[in-house]
Amino acid sequence: MFDDRSPIYRQIAERIKAEVMSGALKGDEQVMSTNQYAAHYRINPATAAKAFQQLVDEGVLYKKRGIGMFVSPDARERLRAKRRESFFADVVDPMVAEAKATGIPLRDIIRRIEELEGT
Amino acid sequence: MRIPRLLIANGMFALLLWAGFYALVTVLTIGFGLAGRLTHSGWEVAAQLPRWYALFVGVALIREFMPMYIAHGRTRRRFAVDGLITVTLFAPFLAALVTLSYLLESVLYGLAGWPQALTRLHLFTEPTQLPLVFAEYLIEFAAWIPAGALMGAAFYRFRGNGLVVAIPAGALLIITSYAAMGVQPQVPFLFTWLSFDAPGTPLVTVTGGLGVFLAGLLLTWAIIRDIPLRNHVA
Amino acid sequence: MRIEVEDLVLRYGDVTALDGITLTLEEGKIYGLLGRNGSGKTSLLSVLAAFRRHTAGRVRVDGRPVFENPQVTSRISLIRDVGETVDIGTGEDVLYFAEELRPNWDGDYARALMDMFQINPKQTVKNMSKGQRSAMGIIVGLASRAPLTMFDESYLGLDAPARQLFYDQLLADYMAHPRTIIMSTHLIEEVSALFEEVVIIHRGRVVAHEERDALLAKGVSVTGPAAQVDSFTAGMRVLGSRSLGPTKSAMVYGELDDAQRRKAADAGLELGPIAMQDLFIHLTAEDGAAV
Repeated sequence: MFDDRSPIYRQIAERIKAEVMSGALKGDEQVMSTNQYAAHYRINPATAAKAFQQLVDEGVLYKKRGIGMFVSPDARERLRAKRRESFFADVVDPMVAEAKATGIPLRDIIRRIEELEGT
Repeated sequence: MRIPRLLIANGMFALLLWAGFYALVTVLTIGFGLAGRLTHSGWEVAAQLPRWYALFVGVALIREFMPMYIAHGRTRRRFAVDGLITVTLFAPFLAALVTLSYLLESVLYGLAGWPQALTRLHLFTEPTQLPLVFAEYLIEFAAWIPAGALMGAAFYRFRGNGLVVAIPAGALLIITSYAAMGVQPQVPFLFTWLSFDAPGTPLVTVTGGLGVFLAGLLLTWAIIRDIPLRNHVA
Repeated sequence: MRIEVEDLVLRYGDVTALDGITLTLEEGKIYGLLGRNGSGKTSLLSVLAAFRRHTAGRVRVDGRPVFENPQVTSRISLIRDVGETVDIGTGEDVLYFAEELRPNWDGDYARALMDMFQINPKQTVKNMSKGQRSAMGIIVGLASRAPLTMFDESYLGLDAPARQLFYDQLLADYMAHPRTIIMSTHLIEEVSALFEEVVIIHRGRVVAHEERDALLAKGVSVTGPAAQVDSFTAGMRVLGSRSLGPTKSAMVYGELDDAQRRKAADAGLELGPIAMQDLFIHLTAEDGAAV
C-alpha cells in the first residue's frame, strides 16, 4: 500500500524499479496495465499512468502499442549503473558523516568491511 | 401518451388495498346482514375512507416522488407533467373501484334480499345509477388528491407556516367540490363552517369539479416549480 | 461534463452557505471534495445537481446552466444520505423507478451490485439496516452511469469491508465507463488515493484545489530548535505548530525549492511530509482564512 510520505506516483515508480533491480521483473517481461495496477492497489488510474510514463521517460519501461507496457531489456543494468553512480553520495558519504558524529573511528569501519568481504 | 411508472405503481398498490378493503367490508356486511341488522348500503359508509387514501396519495406524490424525480435528474416540470397524467388517470381509477364496489354490493344485496338504501344526499338517488355514482366519486377524488398535493407541497417547502395556510385552502377546495355537486360536504367537523350553498345544476357540478381539480394542481405547481430539495428528511 | 462555477453564492435566509465559490473542474476525473461539517460541501453539490437554485453567481455544467435544464440534469447524479432515490418501497421498487428515469441505467449491473452487497430486493428500504440503505444509494449512483456522478458522504453508513467493495466497484466502473466523479468525504486517509484532484472547501469558500500529489507536496513539517524553525519559516504560510521543550515543529503550506531545502538542512532542521488528513485539519482550522 502507499502512504502519504511522498507522491504516490513516485512510490509506484520506486516499487517497480525495485522489482526490476531484484530481478522479480525481467527484461522484456510485460507489466500490469495502468488500469490493472490502479485496480489492484486501489489508486487513481491517472496516478498509475503518471508513474508508468515517468518510467518510460527514464527508459525503464517501453510501450508496445495495442499490447501493453514492458520492462526494457537493459532496465536492470541501467538502474544498477545509476545506483552505482549515486552510491557514494547517497550511501557512503552519509555513513562516514554518521560515524564521525557518533565517534566511530573510520579504521573500525574499514575492518568491518574487510570482514564482510570474505562472506 | 406515456404512462408513467408513478401511475402504474400507485395503481397497483391501490388495487391491492382495494382488494383487501373490499374483502373486509363484504365480510362485515354479510355479518351484519346475517344478524338481521342490515338496513342500508354498507358501501355508502365504507366509501368515506378511500378519500383519505386519495389525500394521502396526493401528499406522497410530493413528499416521496417529487424528490425522487429531481434526484434522478428530472426537472420539476417533467415531474409536474407525469404527476398531472397520474392524477388525471388515478382519480377515475379510484372512482371506478368504488363504483364497482357499489355494483358488486347491489348483486350481493339482491341475492340476499337486503335493502341497499342510501342515508344521505348524493348526485345519485339509487346506488344502481352507476354513471352518477362514478361521477360523484370522480369529482370527490379529483378534489382530495390535489388538496393532498397542495398540503404536501406547502409543508415540504414552508413547514408549519405552509400547513397553516394549505390545510384551510385544501379544505376550501374540497368543500367547493361538494357545493358544486349540491351535496353535504364530507369533511372533518372543524371545517364544516366553511361550507356554502351553490345551485346543484349539472353545469355547475362539472365546472366546479373541474375548476377545483385544476386550481388545486395549479396552486401546487406554483409551490413546486422552483422548490429546493430538503437537506434533511422531516 | 466540465464544471464551471463563478462567484457562486448560496444563501438560506440569513445563512450564507456558499460565499463566492469560483472553481473549474475538468471532465473525466475523480475529485475529492473535503470540508468540515457546515463548510458548504452539501450546498455546492446540491447546486451542481440542480437540487436548489443558487442565489448569485454562475453555474455551468457542460457549458450550460443547470437548474431545470433537462438536457444537463439528466446527465447528473447526486447520491446523499437523505436517500431521495432509495426511500421508495422495496429495493425492487427503487430499481423500477430508476430504470424509467435514468437514461443510462444498467439494471443488470444494479442487480449484480445488490447481490454483492447482500441486499434482498424484496425488503423495504426504510426497514433495511443503515449499511444496506447506504449501499442502495451507492448502487443507484453507480448503475445510473451519469456522466457527472457525485456522492455526498453517502457511503458513511457502510462498514469497512463494504466501503472497500464500493471503492473497488467505483474504480472498476470508472475505468470501464469514464465519467466525472466527485466524492465528498470525511474518511480522507481511506479514500485519498482514489482522487486525481482534491478541492478543500471551508466556510463556503475554496481553500485549496490541487492535484492530489501536488497538494501533499505543499505540506511540509519543519522540526528543530525553536529559534531556527521560526527564522526559517518567517514569511511562509504557517498552518500551525507544536512545541516540546526547546524543539518546535511547524507545519508550512507551500512548495519548498532545493535552495530552501538545503538551507533547512544547514540549519539542522528536519523536513517531513504532512499526511493529507492533517493538511486538511490545518487548512480548515477555525482561525484559518481562505487563500
